[in-house]
Amino acid sequence: MKNLKEIIVPTVVLFVICLVATFLLALTDKVTAPKIETLTAETEKKSRAEVLPDADTFSNAKTLSVDGKQYSYYIGYDENGNIAGYTFTTSAKGYGGDVVLMTGVDTSGTVTGVTTLVLNETAGLGMNAQKESFRNQYIGKSGVIGVSTVGNKAENGIDAMTGATITSRAVTNAVNLALELYANAKEVGGNG
Amino acid sequence: MTKYYISILLTAILTNNFVLSKFLGICPFLGVSKKLKTATGMSLAVIFVMAMSTAVTYPINAYLLEPKGLGYLQTIVFILVIAVLVQFVETVLKKYIPSLYSALGIYLPLITTNCAVLGVVLLNVERAGAEPSFGFAASMFNSVGGGLGFMLAMVMFAGVRSKMESCDIPKFLQGLPITLIAASLVSVSFLGFGGIVENIFG
Amino acid sequence: MAEKTTLRKEFTKGLLVENPVLRLVLGTCPTLAISTSMTNSIGMGISAMIVLVCSNIAISMLRRVIPSKVRIPAYIVVIASFVTIVQMLVKAFVPALDSALGVYLPLIVVNCIILGRAEAFAGKNSVAASAVDGIGMGIGFTAALLCMATIREFFGNGTLFSGADSLLNLFGITSFTGIEIFSRLPESLHIEPILILILAPGGFFTFGLLMAVSNKIAEGKGKPKAELRGCDSCPMSGSCSLIARDEAGDCAEKQPAQATANTTGGDA
Repeated sequence: MKNLKEIIVPTVVLFVICLVATFLLALTDKVTAPKIETLTAETEKKSRAEVLPDADTFSNAKTLSVDGKQYSYYIGYDENGNIAGYTFTTSAKGYGGDVVLMTGVDTSGTVTGVTTLVLNETAGLGMNAQKESFRNQYIGKSGVIGVSTVGNKAENGIDAMTGATITSRAVTNAVNLALELYANAKEVGGNG
Repeated sequence: MTKYYISILLTAILTNNFVLSKFLGICPFLGVSKKLKTATGMSLAVIFVMAMSTAVTYPINAYLLEPKGLGYLQTIVFILVIAVLVQFVETVLKKYIPSLYSALGIYLPLITTNCAVLGVVLLNVERAGAEPSFGFAASMFNSVGGGLGFMLAMVMFAGVRSKMESCDIPKFLQGLPITLIAASLVSVSFLGFGGIVENIFG
Repeated sequence: MAEKTTLRKEFTKGLLVENPVLRLVLGTCPTLAISTSMTNSIGMGISAMIVLVCSNIAISMLRRVIPSKVRIPAYIVVIASFVTIVQMLVKAFVPALDSALGVYLPLIVVNCIILGRAEAFAGKNSVAASAVDGIGMGIGFTAALLCMATIREFFGNGTLFSGADSLLNLFGITSFTGIEIFSRLPESLHIEPILILILAPGGFFTFGLLMAVSNKIAEGKGKPKAELRGCDSCPMSGSCSLIARDEAGDCAEKQPAQATANTTGGDA
């Protein structure tokens, strides 16, 4: 009988601890989940306003399919209800994983702003892609953007960050992808 | 597709080395790297457990936790699964494959609280959520690569430490300080791999 | 009165004499990974401290209920739940910190400081002593992290508290975003930060130097050097005395018999 007790008691105690722990977690999740959701939505809204400052209101999320991949984008309208531009969320492979950006493009196909959404690059090197001094280089550019490194000037290029050429290229690739999506989105027609 | 998997493997071994650039699994790296034999044994056990726990936790997450919206239970479920798995593997090896047990068995219990194992599992799940193309096979390659990277760092460092044994080290640096400074130099050598994978696989 | 002095002792020991990072050599992974920025160090230190205090209290309260056979899994469940709760709260209220700490936030679960304190202290002592021990150890951990981060951020990035707004946001302060130092220097004094200090090798290097300094101080006070004793410091060491045997000699075949003899002896 003693053996049976030796098996049952620990099992029951461990089970009760797990049960209480799971209950507590579910409770915290219930409280924090809506807060996290609104926070994410707010951050996205703020990013959209930042990369497309001319827009007053935004459409709902739209999807676009290019080369078999789905991309989501938003159309921004100015105060008169005319299309001010588009915002695209694109990604490219960086040094520490995917770099995800939001790019604003106006109706003439010019970049109006770039902001980083996901960035897991090296601190002090690739992480500098968050800085305005780097991101603002893209504003006013159109077509296919290149990357200039030391001693290698690219046409229509931005200056790469010192020691973080891979991140610079990844950001540029993602912006170029956004410009490509812009051409497609325009074809579909911005009337939706 | 093969290219994609090889690039994941090489990135995990060289550019994003678990020990030397992500600082995961530092305790065994500093603690059990004195002798080449123990370093290899520990590394093999880590590779084994990393692959096993990814093989188990990936389906749990993809088919059980995520569809039910229980993502917040990830940490607690994963650590328990790893603990049970390690215990289970240890018992099975001891009973049925004693030769393997005598080689790996002694390192297995240590690995439950090794942050490299929980780390690789959590990183895989996080990346699978962000990149749809990063599926089960990619997760497995990433885990095995992470384990191999751990082994590479351990074996290299065991070599460095055996050379250090015969050196005249200033008194205030003896022990842990010089070990950490040596680790720093090994880590510098891994900085040189930056960009290599991207340049090979475009 | 006597109790008060003991509590004070439990509190202060975590700060210096038994500093978890510099003396007990626990929690090295987050110390090396997070100490690139002072702001992140404080965030990490506080998160770990909250988990440590909560789990110490819970485990101390449950110490008579948990059978010793399943104590390690029970501790892990308790710790993992508190870590997840802290992670959710950080996500909801300090989102910038969540993305800065990344995977290292859930990895507090396997931070040896927490499991180590549960096993070495909270499982055997009263609730009050365990709570105080947790606060002391937490502050000691934060202080060591901050010490490393100050060196690495100042010399490696030329700033102090950069990105502080991500933490201060919690109190509604957004104006203070850190102090830029190197870039403010006049042209004639221009120096570039030593970038490698905030890269991975700089972490090992700074930790090595700090450890040397702390050993020197300890030596002056007649205390032994900090030593990573293989796995004595690891809370699992009790269940895996086998590895110590392998380190001591290569008699993995000879010893199991003895080990079994020991266990049976213990049971009888």
